[in-house]
Amino acid sequence: MDSLALLTFLPLAGALALLALPAGGEHGPHGRRSDSAARALALAVTGLTAFLGARLFVGFDGSSAALQRTFERDWFTLPWSHAPVRLALGVDGLSVTMAALTAVLTPLVVLSTWGHVDRRVKEFMVWLLVMETGMLGTFLATDLVLFYFFWEASLVPLYFIVGIWGGECRLYATLKFFLYTLAGSLLMLVAVIWLVQAARTSSIPELTEWASRPGALGARGGAWLFLAFAAAFAIKVPLIPFHTWLPDAHTEAPTSGSVILAGVLLKMGTYGLLRFCIGMFPAQALAFAPWFMALGAVGIAYGAFLAMAQNDLKRLIACSSVSHLGYVVLGLFALNQPGLRGGLLQMVNHGLSTGLLFLLVGMLYERRHSRMLDQFGGVALVAPAFAAWWVFAVLSSAGLPGLNGFVGEYLVLLGAWKVAPPWAAVAASGVILGAVYLLSATRRMLFGPVVHAETRHVGDLRPRELALMLPIGALIVWFGVQPGALLDKSAGSIAALEARIARARVAAADPSIEDGAGAELPGAGAAELPAAIGPQEAVAR
Amino acid sequence: MIANLTSIPGGPVDPGGDLGSLARALTPEALAALGAPLALAAGVVLLLACELWPVTARVRPALVGAALAAAAWCSWRLVAEPLPRGGLVFEGTFAAGPALGLWSLAFVAAAALAWAFSAGYYRRDASAPFKGEHDLLLLSTPVGMILMAGARDLLVFFVGLELLSIPLYALAAFRRARATSVEAGLKYFLLGAFASALYLYGAALLYASSGTLAMAELAARFGAGSAPALGQAGAALVAAALFFKISVFPFHVWVPDVYQGSPTPVTALMSAGTKAAAFAFLLRTCALLPASAAWSVAVLALITMAVGNLAALVQEDAKRMLAYSSIAHAGNVVLAAAALLAGDPRSSAAIEGAAIYYLAAYAFTACGAFGILAWLEAADGEGATRIEALDGLAQRRPWSAALLALFLLSLGGMPLTGGFLGKWLVFGALVERDMMPAAVVGVLLSVVAFAYYLRLIVAMTMKPARAAAPRPGDEWELGPLVAGAVCAAGVLLLGVVPGWLMETIERLG
Repeated sequence: MDSLALLTFLPLAGALALLALPAGGEHGPHGRRSDSAARALALAVTGLTAFLGARLFVGFDGSSAALQRTFERDWFTLPWSHAPVRLALGVDGLSVTMAALTAVLTPLVVLSTWGHVDRRVKEFMVWLLVMETGMLGTFLATDLVLFYFFWEASLVPLYFIVGIWGGECRLYATLKFFLYTLAGSLLMLVAVIWLVQAARTSSIPELTEWASRPGALGARGGAWLFLAFAAAFAIKVPLIPFHTWLPDAHTEAPTSGSVILAGVLLKMGTYGLLRFCIGMFPAQALAFAPWFMALGAVGIAYGAFLAMAQNDLKRLIACSSVSHLGYVVLGLFALNQPGLRGGLLQMVNHGLSTGLLFLLVGMLYERRHSRMLDQFGGVALVAPAFAAWWVFAVLSSAGLPGLNGFVGEYLVLLGAWKVAPPWAAVAASGVILGAVYLLSATRRMLFGPVVHAETRHVGDLRPRELALMLPIGALIVWFGVQPGALLDKSAGSIAALEARIARARVAAADPSIEDGAGAELPGAGAAELPAAIGPQEAVAR
Repeated sequence: MIANLTSIPGGPVDPGGDLGSLARALTPEALAALGAPLALAAGVVLLLACELWPVTARVRPALVGAALAAAAWCSWRLVAEPLPRGGLVFEGTFAAGPALGLWSLAFVAAAALAWAFSAGYYRRDASAPFKGEHDLLLLSTPVGMILMAGARDLLVFFVGLELLSIPLYALAAFRRARATSVEAGLKYFLLGAFASALYLYGAALLYASSGTLAMAELAARFGAGSAPALGQAGAALVAAALFFKISVFPFHVWVPDVYQGSPTPVTALMSAGTKAAAFAFLLRTCALLPASAAWSVAVLALITMAVGNLAALVQEDAKRMLAYSSIAHAGNVVLAAAALLAGDPRSSAAIEGAAIYYLAAYAFTACGAFGILAWLEAADGEGATRIEALDGLAQRRPWSAALLALFLLSLGGMPLTGGFLGKWLVFGALVERDMMPAAVVGVLLSVVAFAYYLRLIVAMTMKPARAAAPRPGDEWELGPLVAGAVCAAGVLLLGVVPGWLMETIERLG
């Protein structure tokens, strides 16, 4: 079987196999044993998937922009458009890092559940595995209808994970998360239907090619399509002002849910922005770029201020996510090479750093049953290894040179500076604000005297916890020292994307070439953007 | 007038009782066209005979099953080997084309599922000894549905409508020891009779204005743009009667009480079958409405969705909530009729296909959902459908909860369920006809719908159980088990491997 199909559907197969296990927990006669079996099976399946994902990443040829390892099977034909919907998977430089990150993070998430998922274990693992297939499929699908299937199907597992295994206000949080994301998704659905019926194909490469034809999208169609897709992705990212579901969902989710949410699920939004909003509608992206850069930059600062005011550690990290994803959006919509590369890099970096932070908060919560900063103080005295890891994660998140966050943030700021210096300045202040909230939270939690007696009984890290954090730590250092390992994989695809943007920019500047929608939009930002990177330069790269 | 009626070309079989003309009308082709209704009617007659003696009454389940299977086979023949001339028989009053084959497959499936879910439903009820009457009433409803869907003549439709409605009035009141059931039957009867009267009055006006009851001729006259005001009023009245049966705003108010009060398997049949049958004929009636009515119909449909979804949000009983949800789904499918009006009415086959897909998925889903509720009611007693009674169902009855959750996700239109592709096709019809605003408002209203579907899922899977777990082995009995599995299989097949039905629909055009 083809390796991409295997990679995508292996977790689903694992989930089905898990269903065959006897019920565990308090109901089954062999409760504990069955729970352990479920955990072991889930770990084995996700571990194998991680191996396949890592092999995919290593074997990927980053210099090419073409889809690699394509897998295609006929599925069904839609009426009206006669568009054949295919089970089509493929990987390119935009998706390879995200797919690999998903595959590598999931077994670590499974390991992390040993500490906090102690009821309905089998069910949890089933949902987690189903979600892994949903996420991998979202990144790897090269058919728009298939993409939409995976996109929306990945909503349901997280809904159950937060709703069943979450904190006190989990029902409110999970409903809010689901309905928010669904509203955006359904707007995208109308756009997907429109696009497929107009283009009479649902293959993403063919659609991308079709959308770039002069006049294909009609006078206003392009802008509406762009906005409908952007609505779905902006809610998922989340971009302010659509971010309010995220702190609730993060806070109420179990640790594993938070890690998956921060590590991968939010990236589905930024990936969608990159693949569809920018890749498929570059003219419209140019026109709307100033708005997105503004939202990104404001999000950076606003998220940071929100984080400063938090007492709940999880909520603090959730708000910092809003801030960090602002960088990604800012970089992507700078629409130049450093911005795109930085944005792509930050997608991975945020997944690693924030994932690690959520894991650490989870471990602390398991020991102390509190996440409130004012309940802590002096943790470093009783759990030095934990404190060291926490400081490491915080510094990675704050962008310390030598760790992963630095390169990405730098590239994003560079890219943004070239087109919109004011927003770059706002974003740069976010770097400082980030350090402020992260370090002050660290001080309040780790240092000073032990205020509450319970803190004395916080034990240090166990071998299992170290084992699950080590791979993330290693990746953080590796990508900090050797960012080329990631950047090279996307070089070819980014160059191709830049060429498309450059063509759209030329077309927008000279409406006589084609009647692309971008030229007619009000406030066409393309004209205002200094041509930081010309088309020739882009092609050369 | 009467003399005129009997001489109308394409009028129903000569009421004069001339056996010769009856024999001439019953060509082999006509028999094939009416295969499914005839098989069901034969089943009904045999059931009546069986009930006379206690000994023969035992074969009742086999008889019902055989009649349904024969009807399904006859319907399938219409799809697999279409009759010549689009299956028009009886001088053009009845069209048994491949589309009717698909419609009647859906009706027969709905009746079969409702029947399977009714096994054991009445066992603690005073009406239990009358299961035979129940079954034969149930078996006669798809006859009416098929006649409604295939009618190309206003009177044939009316015959079908009454053949469907009268058994349903009785079935709605079937649990006569329960006041709500009697109330449901009475309400359904009074309002249904009112709708029938509306329909007849409309048909009479149409006849008075154009001198024909044949849909094809009416459509030709109305299509020429020379419809007199009298005829337009008639068309509006006919449409109103259909809206009543489909439960479109403002003719929807009877639905919650009737659906909640009726025995739950009957509710399943009503939600899956009646609506679809009336909708099939609404698609023909569209030819009588002006194209300018497209947006009015779309707005009515959207209001229906809004009313159904918003009212469902605040319900405390799952059955009543699903009744409101069925109103919302009626609005959704009527959007397809609006799309039909907006374009060339002659290219209706594709939109009819979309509606068939939507309603087939809905038939499996709604039958499944109401069926599970019926089973819970039978197993856990009265009040089992209250939402708080569903708390922790996943712990107590994991399979019931898993199936119900699947059906709810399909009702909401999650990918990998039949509900999603049905929604895709209906909204695709709107997009194809350039009715984007209606599509956008429609999808946003289906976000509201998820709020209450999820509320049930929350209760079942995320809240602690209030009642004790049942004894192991008490989970299922055969009838509901098979029906539930069939519904789930149908929902998943329509969602995951839609190729077969999609291709069949494609061939309709």
